[in-house]
Amino acid sequence: MFTKLAARNVKRQIGNYLIYYITVSLTVALMFAVNNAIFEKQLLARAASIDELRTALITVTVFISAVVAFVLGYATSFMLKLRKREFGMYLTLGMTRRNVLGVFLLESLILCAVSLATGLVLGLAFYQGIMAIVTNIMDVRYSFAAYSLQGLLLTVGLVAGVFALSAVTSALYLRRVSINSLLHDAQKSERTVKHPVPWAVLAVATLAAIITCCIVIGNEIITSAQNNNGSLAMLNICVITLIISIVLFHVGLCKSMFGLLLRSERFKNNGTNTFTLRKLSSKLSANAVMAGILALLMTFAVAGANASFLMQTANNAALDRSYPFDVFGEIPYDSDSPVDMTTAHNAIAEFSTITREADYTIYTSGKDYLHGFTKWHGENYSELYDEFITESEFNALFGMLGYPQLKLGGGFAIVPHSAYAKNVEACDFSAAQLRVGERTFDFKGFANAPLTTLRFFLAVVPDAAIDGLTACADGWACMLDGDKFDAQGLHDKLTYEYTNGHLQYMRCDFGIKQYHKIQSDAESAVFIVTALYVALVFVFMAMAMLALKTLSDMADDRKHYDTLFRLGASKRDMTRTLFRQTFAFFFIPFALPILFGIPTAAICYALMQTTGFAAIALKTINIAFGVAAVITAVYALYFAATYLTAKRNVIRRV
Amino acid sequence: MKELLSVRNVTKHYNGGSVVTKALDGISFSIGKGEFVAVMGASGSGKSTLLNVIATIDRVGAGEILIDGVNVCDMDENALSAFRRDKLGFVFQDYNLLDTLTIEENIVLPLNLKREPLDKTRDALQRVAAQLDIADQLNKFPHELSGGQRQRAACARALITSPSLILADEPTGALDSRNSKLLMKTFDMMNSAFGSTILTVTHDASVGSYAARVLFLKDGKVFGECVRGDRSRREMYAEILSVTASLGGDVDVY
Repeated sequence: MFTKLAARNVKRQIGNYLIYYITVSLTVALMFAVNNAIFEKQLLARAASIDELRTALITVTVFISAVVAFVLGYATSFMLKLRKREFGMYLTLGMTRRNVLGVFLLESLILCAVSLATGLVLGLAFYQGIMAIVTNIMDVRYSFAAYSLQGLLLTVGLVAGVFALSAVTSALYLRRVSINSLLHDAQKSERTVKHPVPWAVLAVATLAAIITCCIVIGNEIITSAQNNNGSLAMLNICVITLIISIVLFHVGLCKSMFGLLLRSERFKNNGTNTFTLRKLSSKLSANAVMAGILALLMTFAVAGANASFLMQTANNAALDRSYPFDVFGEIPYDSDSPVDMTTAHNAIAEFSTITREADYTIYTSGKDYLHGFTKWHGENYSELYDEFITESEFNALFGMLGYPQLKLGGGFAIVPHSAYAKNVEACDFSAAQLRVGERTFDFKGFANAPLTTLRFFLAVVPDAAIDGLTACADGWACMLDGDKFDAQGLHDKLTYEYTNGHLQYMRCDFGIKQYHKIQSDAESAVFIVTALYVALVFVFMAMAMLALKTLSDMADDRKHYDTLFRLGASKRDMTRTLFRQTFAFFFIPFALPILFGIPTAAICYALMQTTGFAAIALKTINIAFGVAAVITAVYALYFAATYLTAKRNVIRRV
Repeated sequence: MKELLSVRNVTKHYNGGSVVTKALDGISFSIGKGEFVAVMGASGSGKSTLLNVIATIDRVGAGEILIDGVNVCDMDENALSAFRRDKLGFVFQDYNLLDTLTIEENIVLPLNLKREPLDKTRDALQRVAAQLDIADQLNKFPHELSGGQRQRAACARALITSPSLILADEPTGALDSRNSKLLMKTFDMMNSAFGSTILTVTHDASVGSYAARVLFLKDGKVFGECVRGDRSRREMYAEILSVTASLGGDVDVY
């Protein structure tokens, strides 16, 4: 009999459960898709550290499950409260608490099974979608991705855990609550804040803190990207302050905004303004912390999604900058590397066809004369000596990449390292003169070429100028025929065990572009999928909370709007009032996260500019707009569904 | 006495699947301006349906209802809202005060809906609050007041727009006998001091005894009528009891 009752209840409550069901199904679908990706060999096998990534992904998915469990527990308690009269009636009719709990849990189980089934079916498609994105990012041809049993088991296990937790929440509530409080609504107490000014001060102060934190975080990130000496401690303090400030800002805002508006007699005594302001003031002050937490979740979603796409764009640009040649290597003369140039050349020829190549020699003066014109000299840089390359070898090397031939005209030029171009070019070398024997070479300017070896800059000198210099390293670079070769195999072949004092590690003196591209793409793909997964789940959860909270107050709203109707409020007045009420409730935790796209984009833009990726800096703005648009669209859908459901249930017609 | 409300041959049916319930069966009566009329009858006699159709929150099946000479059955939804706001005042059994609004905000809500100027709203508030003796309760919330005080606040809300007709639905239903008496005295005062026309629906013979006229409903029709005239309230009360006894009881007696 109880099974029949539970089944009928689910059918009858379908309207109330719809948003809950949609949210759980979508979350399960995402969870299933990501869990499949975790056990997908093609994806993780390409990333540098498979085990760490898998562990990280499982941690993320468990963390997401914990967030989902918390939200669903909260949602379940809404559902219970929405139907407490009904459960009170069951108890009055003689059902035991165990029976009532049984009926509710059975309903939850039915809902769980249906949501799980829908989620798994949707997840089958989501997973292919994820893998299409992943293969696209990894520049691999998409083929149907196989499903994994482990992924399925992990999903079912996590969903079962989530529902078990929400069942425990319900059980605790139903065990304690009295029949009287189930049957009769508790006396409503006014929750409007009586002193909104201190809360407004809190909101303004925390807003100032949020802006300050954004500026400091931006500066720290850019400083650390420029010269690697940003303060991690400062960054951590700012992030923690930012988190606390976002929550407190919303608490302050929710408890002050409408209370302050209520102080304006003229504004409130107009139409349904008092009604709307009091409702919002009461509802938001009771849910202020929830609004803060939701805003925080969505801020993370926006920042995470922005950062993940930016990382992929930046990685690709960085790869082209860090590895301008297909294979590139430099071996110092004092190195005892077992892989010399000839061995490397032969190994590469085994794996692919070398189409063009160039070798060169690096010379040193054993002095830091040129470094004296920069900030990289003195006590901390005592090991740093000026290094040189001849004009002809420079032209042969970078000529391979299509760079125009450098003509020194009897002087010398400076080639800055790609990452430090701005800093090097800011230095004044105009007075620099190189003296070799009787001859003097004047500074002629900066040469434009992608220098990626471990030095701040290199001086290009006429071939005749090397007479007084000492050769210190051999270098070699080549271009290969296409990228369809076993880059991993080649990398393994050029890697050797290196011992430096007590340290022992695997070392490769050659940069193989394709090997690093595969690594970087796989890591980007994993990062993007994870960030989008977290972002989407956060947004779903936030919206579901707001929607369920709105709908669970519908019974009260119906009574209040009915009174308005009897007092002569027109349908237009009531519709507008309900819209404002629902919109404000939805918008307050949403505004800051969406606006947060602006500082995120600004920081990313500045970062790209600073690190020499000016060409892709504009992309960061597009990414920010894209992320904001997608989140707004999903948000708008939930808002529309909630508003229309509320309107249908609340606004009375004659 | 000038006619304020005229109910002419009004019929109302409710369709519940295969069952059709006739709530009002060609009912007709009228109320004069400044009159205090009670409608009594057994459960299911059509009292609440009658009040709802007069209150314009339900539509009639046939017939017409004229309030201040205007046929409310021909009005569209927007015109009805404005009509309710401007011409009608309501007092409900469970007060229907909005629990998130203060008493003052509840009382002035109908004027806010009319978008009356602030000065006019303040004047009207002072007037009704003083008359109904709730001036010192204005900043409180409904849950901070007793049932009787809440119902007086509801009366103030009904009065503030100076409506043509005040409709009360079991106004003493949630009150104890002392507060019921106080409320009926308030109704009396509203009728005499403000000249309000009041139509109340009640089960309570003692409430009916305050009215100048009592209409008895049975099966959706007017079954009988008691007019107080010069008689005392006690005599009116006795007559109501005798009529309800002939109707088959179902009236609360205190």
